[in-house]
Amino acid sequence: MNTCVSSSTLHTTNLILSSLVPSPLSKNIAITGAGIVSPLGMGWQANEAALAADRTAFKPVELFDTREFIAKTAGVVDLPAENLFHRIPAHKQTYFDRGTRMLLMAIREALAQAGRENMEGIDAMVIGTSAGAMPLGEAYFEHAHQDAARAPAQLSRAEYYQPQRQMSSIAAEFDWRGPVIIVSNACASGANAIGWAADMIRSGRAKRVLAGGYDAIARLVFAGFDTLRALAPSGIPRPFDAHRDGLALGEGAAVMLLEAEDVRQSAALGNISGYATATDLHHLTQPDPAGKAAIRTMTSACAQAGVSPAQIGYINSHGTGTPFNDVAEASAIAAWAGDAVAGIPVSSTKSAMGHLLGGAGAVEAVICLMALQGQWLPASLNVREIDPAVHFDLVRQFRRASLDYALTNSFGFGGTNATLVLQRRSA
Amino acid sequence: MNARNIRIRGVGAVSSAGWNAAAMHTAVLAGTPLPSRSCARPGDVRNWPCESRFAPPAPPEKVARHPRLRRSSAITRYSVAAALEALADAGHDPSAPPPGLGILFVMMNGCVNYTGRFYDEVLQNPAQASPLIFPETVFNAPASHVASFLGVDGAVSTLLGSPNSIMEALDTAAFWIGSGIVEECLLIAAEECDWLSAEALTYYHPKLIGSEGAGALLLSASGDGPRVSEIIGPLGYLSWQERCDLLPELAAQTLAQFQGPATLINDRTGIAKLDHTEIAAWSGRPWDAVLSPKYVLGESMGASSALQLVLGTLAVRQTQQPVVISMPGSNTAAYACVLTP
Repeated sequence: MNTCVSSSTLHTTNLILSSLVPSPLSKNIAITGAGIVSPLGMGWQANEAALAADRTAFKPVELFDTREFIAKTAGVVDLPAENLFHRIPAHKQTYFDRGTRMLLMAIREALAQAGRENMEGIDAMVIGTSAGAMPLGEAYFEHAHQDAARAPAQLSRAEYYQPQRQMSSIAAEFDWRGPVIIVSNACASGANAIGWAADMIRSGRAKRVLAGGYDAIARLVFAGFDTLRALAPSGIPRPFDAHRDGLALGEGAAVMLLEAEDVRQSAALGNISGYATATDLHHLTQPDPAGKAAIRTMTSACAQAGVSPAQIGYINSHGTGTPFNDVAEASAIAAWAGDAVAGIPVSSTKSAMGHLLGGAGAVEAVICLMALQGQWLPASLNVREIDPAVHFDLVRQFRRASLDYALTNSFGFGGTNATLVLQRRSA
Repeated sequence: MNARNIRIRGVGAVSSAGWNAAAMHTAVLAGTPLPSRSCARPGDVRNWPCESRFAPPAPPEKVARHPRLRRSSAITRYSVAAALEALADAGHDPSAPPPGLGILFVMMNGCVNYTGRFYDEVLQNPAQASPLIFPETVFNAPASHVASFLGVDGAVSTLLGSPNSIMEALDTAAFWIGSGIVEECLLIAAEECDWLSAEALTYYHPKLIGSEGAGALLLSASGDGPRVSEIIGPLGYLSWQERCDLLPELAAQTLAQFQGPATLINDRTGIAKLDHTEIAAWSGRPWDAVLSPKYVLGESMGASSALQLVLGTLAVRQTQQPVVISMPGSNTAAYACVLTP
């Protein structure tokens, strides 16, 4: 929304929409910092090392009782015990959701990578989440049900259940007062947030935006996927395996600092070159079998990036490991890529860390950036027999590669499809 | 193409005053708080006051038929009704929505009825929790249902946040329209109130009355309708004290944008402790009229700023004068906007 470029003036300046002018579709957006927290580890290096080792990160969930659930494991993040919010009193630390803590860690890494100590000069923060601070909502619910008496502590639970309040606490950590936009399109939220931020810069409404996504494992969400029979009973997701039987949940966060080229102050790690979103109307939770919305988003995102399918050197698929998703996505990739499909390497890193829901799109975008920087491809693990719908080059082991463009798909409940195209930058 | 050329071509609303925008307009113009009633809670009887103003039952003509709506929660039904009214108000045939339509949805609390029901089932016995309910708990389920009902397969997105997050959505709608991503955009904000939400509001102040509803605006670059001529903000704050300190600046920046007679639509709840800073901030000039939808309708959380915008649109149409809308927010940023004929 801002016509100005500095957060120091952003909050005291009239932001008049009259400056909104669409910019060329092909304008690249520089990525100057990235942070990632996943079940595979804290930070870029730990995640790169784990992906290079084809390591998986599933373990028993101890955050709540799983005895009544079919699935009992997930990709769980080992958060550090220390207080992460340095400016907030210790007695308030309990009100910060695990996901928010992961997001804060990812933001710190992204800022550090861009050579920044704070958020000065950042015009907006666009964050995707599906569950928000659900555990706070669960606690509010349980206390309300257990006791009809008025309980003052409920105010803090109600307040901090709101994702914008959690984000406001992150802003306070940096003494930053810019706008926070929270996108919640289920499992496409993280990708949508990055695309949203790129659009803000493309249109001239912002020059520098911090964008990403997060979600932490919550009992309600775990139960939801369990009741849907969407979780792999074995706890091992096998995306694109002919006999896959479901996904594994995970948690994590990732953030990118995006900058317009004319104000870029740090070395560019890559570009956001293309973004598109569309809606699959087939069903609330199941994809159109032909993946028509995915075909549209891949086509549009590549058109914006100015690349053909054959130029895509890697696809980080949505690849949940559920029977419906993987066949729809494989069909969509085949239809979109045409004759080029056999030469396009594809994998699902959910096979290693699980499905990070609102954080998935952002984490997988950062993995694409890491792959472009390192010139490698992460694997789809645990595949025993490739599904016959797969016509692309399914990457089953970590491998070195030469690639200039990577594409990542995210599909969510409700039918939101999102595709991001990232471009390699050497500096 | 820029947002100054964006027109609010149609509006629709469901509120505690009824299932159309006119009912809300009439109630707010009357200025008398609608009747409230004690919000029942399951199990033990509450020994402290908790009032609410729910939307009345839907009149038969407002009950939309669609497979997706059979199970959907109240928030979706409010949203569909408001969206259809906005489309009709803009001259579109609601049964054949225009091509190139996008949807931006804003909420704060979301699908609380199904979320509470599902979590209750999980606590009782996870193995018997209903798989049909869980997908309806997801924040973007209402937007998905509205999109399915209207056949919108393009850009559809849901934002979470304070009610005034609708200004960020409005800005994005203008971008979508301006860049050709969509031709027109439905901006919807909605909320449903359950006993948990109503109780939560009383922790902010014992007299705060929970409400619910939906506001919808059809935005377009062509046609007739009020313009969103100025958006002031976001003025970010990190505490209630900072918020209090910023509101005079918000008012001053807004009032510098125009002269002459105007209507003010404020955020007043009727609770002095919550209202006094905002009222003081906007008291520096005479207003032709001051409307306080929250005071009349109740605190409809994520829907409240959309209802202000719907009301503002109707006020501009009626008075042919500017309308200033104050949206101070509660925990992140303050906004104001000016609607003009």
